[in-house]
Parts: sequence; C-alpha cells; structure tokens
Amino acid sequence: MIRTNALLDRLLGRINGPLEPGRSPPFWLLVVAAVVVLALLPTFLSRYELLNFSNFLSNVFLALGLCLIWGFGGILSLGQSAFLGLGGYAYGIVGINLIEIHGNTWLALLAGLGFPVIVAAALGWMMFYARLKGVYVAILMLVVTLLIETFLNQTAGQGWFIGNAHLGGNNGLGRFSGVIREPPSLTLGFGAETMVVFKGKTQAFYYLVLGLGVLCYLGLRAFVNSRIGHVLVAIREDPDRTEALGYDVRALQLSVFCLSALLASMSGILYVSWGNFITPNVFGVFYNILPVIWVAVAGRKSLTATIVGTVFLVWLSQKLAIQGDIAFVVLGFILLAGMMLLPEGVVTGLGERIGRVFDRLGIGRHGARHGR
Amino acid sequence: MDTLTFIVSLLYQYADTIAILVLSAIGLFIIFGMMGVINMAHGEMMMIGAYITSFSYYAGIPTPIAVIFGGLGAGVVGIVLERVIVRRFYGQLLASLVATWGISLILSQGALLVLGPLIKSVPTPFGSAGSDDLTFSYYRLFLFGVAILLIAGVWALFKVTRFGLRARATMQDPGSARALGVDVRQVYALTFGLGAALAGLAGGLFALTSTIGPFYGQNYTPQAFITVVVGGGAELISGLLLSVLSLGAIKTIVTNQVNILLGQVAMLVFALILIRLMPSGISDWVERRRLQSRRG
Repeated sequence: MIRTNALLDRLLGRINGPLEPGRSPPFWLLVVAAVVVLALLPTFLSRYELLNFSNFLSNVFLALGLCLIWGFGGILSLGQSAFLGLGGYAYGIVGINLIEIHGNTWLALLAGLGFPVIVAAALGWMMFYARLKGVYVAILMLVVTLLIETFLNQTAGQGWFIGNAHLGGNNGLGRFSGVIREPPSLTLGFGAETMVVFKGKTQAFYYLVLGLGVLCYLGLRAFVNSRIGHVLVAIREDPDRTEALGYDVRALQLSVFCLSALLASMSGILYVSWGNFITPNVFGVFYNILPVIWVAVAGRKSLTATIVGTVFLVWLSQKLAIQGDIAFVVLGFILLAGMMLLPEGVVTGLGERIGRVFDRLGIGRHGARHGR
Repeated sequence: MDTLTFIVSLLYQYADTIAILVLSAIGLFIIFGMMGVINMAHGEMMMIGAYITSFSYYAGIPTPIAVIFGGLGAGVVGIVLERVIVRRFYGQLLASLVATWGISLILSQGALLVLGPLIKSVPTPFGSAGSDDLTFSYYRLFLFGVAILLIAGVWALFKVTRFGLRARATMQDPGSARALGVDVRQVYALTFGLGAALAGLAGGLFALTSTIGPFYGQNYTPQAFITVVVGGGAELISGLLLSVLSLGAIKTIVTNQVNILLGQVAMLVFALILIRLMPSGISDWVERRRLQSRRG
C-alpha cells in the first residue's frame, strides 16, 4: 500500500497535494471509474437525456469558480452568474457578427472568455485594493449583476443592436427575439476539414464539456496545492497575518477573482453553444443564488465535493421543476438544513465518512481527514 | 418650466428619493450596524409587511393601523428567524449572508406558491396638489415626514432608553457587555426584530403606492444594500444620514437629467468610487477626520 501511495504522489505530484481532500488510491480509483462511466454514458443515454446531462455538466465551471474564491480564498460573491452572463452575451454577440464571415467562433470564444475577466479585473481592483470587507464584496457583486439585468431588460427596442446582434430585452439573444440571427454553437477547428460544430445535442459537445471538466478539475487541484494556493488559503484564514508575512494579499485576491470569472464565463459560453440563446435571467437573483447553494451544500472547501454536489443538485432542481414552483423552496430548505447540520458541506461530510470506512478496512492512507 | 419651478421640483424629487432610501435601508442598517450581519431576507421582510398591510386593509382595518400591523408582523417573523436560524451564524459573516439568502428564497418562493404572483394593492391616501408643471403627492411628502420621524425615533431609542444603552454596549464589546449583565442574546433578538419591523413598516408604507407580489421587496433591496455599503456600520445615525443624503443627491440629479436606470447605475458607481476612497464607510471616515483635527 505504501508503495502505491508513493507511486501516486510521484505520478500526480501537486495534484495530489494536501489542500484538496481525497488523495488515497481508492479515491483515485473512484475518480477514474467515474470518468470512464461518464465517457461511456453517450452509448447508454437517449439523445434527450444526453442533451440534458451536457447542460448539467456545463454548470460545473461556474461552481468551481465560486468554490475557488469562496472555499479556498474566503471571498464570497453573490453575483457570480454575472460573469456567466457577460461571457455568454459577449460570445453570442461576437459570434452572431462573425460566424458567417469567418466560419468559426475562435474570436467569439476569445471575447466570451476575455470580457468577463476584464470586468472582474475592474471591479476587483476597486474592491480588493480598497481592502473592502467580505460582506461588502458579496453584496456589491449582487447589486452589479441585478443592475446588468435591469439594463438588459430594457434593450428590446430597435436601437439596441451591436452589429447584427439585437440585444432583445428580456427575450435576450436567440431565436425568441424575432431576429433571424441566433448565437452560433461553438465552431472550432483549423481549416474546413477539421471544423467541428459543438451543438448541444451532439456527442461532440458532451465530450468537450467532459474533457474541459476533467482538465479544470485536475488543473485547479494542482493550483490550490501550489505555493500560491497555500497563500490563498492563508489569506482565507487570516489576511492580516498573511500580509505581515510579506505576501501581496490584494494582488492575489484580484487574480483569483479573475480566474473565477474565467471559469464562470466558460459555463456561459457552453450554455450559449448548447442552446443557442441567452436571456437577462442569468443575471437575476435565482441564477445567482443557485451556485451559492450548490457550493455551500456540497462543501465549499473541496473541488471534488463541489462537482459531485453541483451535478446532483442541478439534476434535482430539474426533477423538482417538473412539479411546478416548488423547486426553489425545496432548494432553500436544503441550503438551510445543510448549513445548519453539516456546515462543511454534505458531500464533504459523506466523503469523510466513506474515508473512515476505508480506513477501518485498512485501505488508503490519509484516513478521515482526507478520505472520500 | 421656469427656473424656480425646476428647483422646487428637483427638491421635491430629492425629498422623495431620500424618503425611499431611508425607509428601505433603515432596518437593514440597524441589523448590520449592531451585529455586522447583512440580512439578505430584508426584501422579504418588506414583502411580509406589505402583504399584512393589504390583508388587514381588505379585512376592514383602517389604513394606518394596517400599516402598523405590517411592521409588527414582520418584526415577529424577524425575531422568530433570529432565534431559530440566524443566531447559529453569528461570528461567521459570510455564512450568515448565505443563510439569510436561503430564508429570502424560501419566503419569496413560498409566498408565490401559496398566495400566487400578485395580491390586491392598497389605494394611495391623501391625493395630490399642484399646477400643470408640478404635481405634489401629499403621500410622498408624508413619507418624507415619516422617514425623518423614524430616524429621530431610532436615534432616541439608542441614545435615551435603557435598551439603547445595552444595545450600544453590545455593539461595542459583546464580551464585556455580557460580563456586566447584559442579556446579549436578547439584545440581538430584539435588534433583529426591530430591523425586520422597520423593514415591514417600510413595506407597508410602499404598498400604498405600488403593486404587491412575492418579489416586491427586491425592487428596494439593491439600493438599500448600496446605502449600507456607503454608510458603513460604525455610526448608525450619522452613517445612514450621510449615505442617504449623498446617494440621494446623485440619484435625483441623474434620474432627473437622464433616466431611472442610470440613476441607479450612478449610485452604484458613486458607491464604488467612494469605497475606493474610504473603504470603511463614510461615517467612519468623517469620524476619523474629526478625531485627527481634534488631536491637532
């Protein structure tokens, strides 16, 4: 057993560091099994189910971004979906204008990733360099996103065109706004032969989301376990002391905030590519409380827990939505119950319990603290 | 419209903006100032106040008493929520934010589920007066009067009464206050209840001028949040006043010259610039300047 552990550490390096729970061989076995199952899913699921599941998975990036800043950095943003929306809108607007000229969406992708990051940098500079209190950052982000919603809702008139893209008021970008041009799906490749269109119902889209998900998961694990990741956690625990030790707290908070915006924008771009529409709703209260619920209930201090919890809760809210208006009430109760009974998160709590069972059976090394 | 009419109408709008800002923020402000907790269910307290006001009014109760019922009802809900949920999250500010947001979600969506998307609104009393250029709604002026009265009342409550003394002691240093025999838990519960009651009262008062639905409070919460961020929590009354007067001026001018949306955006931008210059809030900044000048 000890030998496999050493081997894992050498193979995975930082990815298997101490700041993310789940480091033992059984844990990684589960991860590999999960990825294999997910990769085989398209052969088992119907087209409709796959379409749905692709959508669930594309929310994971938004949740990971929030997990990173809140769980690891101690920065809570109640307006995280603003970056999803800005990414989606920027991608959609540039895509509508350029898809026919270029035949691909590389520039739209770049705009969709870049614009939210620029906005995050501007807002973050104002907030973090003012050393603003955490609660202020949280509610200011909410105010920002609600104002964007109000702004976009009044863009139904004919004056609101950006090139060929009509902002469309509360109908948003897409076929519902009575305009022929809808935002294109991601169309990526080099030259006409390799061009792939990632439409929501295709397997290509599903594998794109899955691949990006695995990459981001491993990348973020390496990030939080890096030197910078340790400083980030130190800031969460005590910003003043971290600063006294000579670290630039403000610059790091700003950078991580931008990184979280980048992750959120990935969800936004995938959302538009999936359904070829986006509406101002994504800036509203409900879209913004959802990621907070996912991350809080799942376990904000663990990337793994966040992914598992997000997929489960998105699935659950869709099941509940069929029952009518009850979905949000139930989610609210789940949030409150989770926070009161298992403040560190339900998935994290379950993971610890599973880890302890493994421990008792004598497999794995990290036991209760790092189990899952 | 001549210059005088323009100035008078601008002043009237300023008073109206101030009244709305004070009323929609004062409950949030008190809770934040006392315990550092932002009550994300603030808008739902306003909604509850508005609902109770409407139900009471249509049950035949006179309008003023219906509004007071709205405030009292929201206050009771606030105390219950504090006892059952919020008190578990003291000392974890971000968690309290998320927990009260959860409460907000349950209350607004629950109201939608049980009572539907819209309930009957209450007619505006008093009527209006003025010429073609300029109309005054007496009720709007009345709201301005109520806002001033509420600020005076809250000031008196915290400066004059025994409860106020205990509350201020708790705010300064909960540990020492407890050691000196102050029932800190009770102070927190009452303060939270007071904040909720003021929100409910504002909800009831605004219910007389607008349509009422489950998400009614959300029309007022963004500007209430900005008011709190600008005011900071250090000084209750002066913080609220300075914040409301400055934000109100910006909002009135931009709304008057451009439109309501830009008025709100201007408030946010002003808030962002202000916190860049004085991160701990306007009242704290003024206070520190005062102390510095005293030291010479």
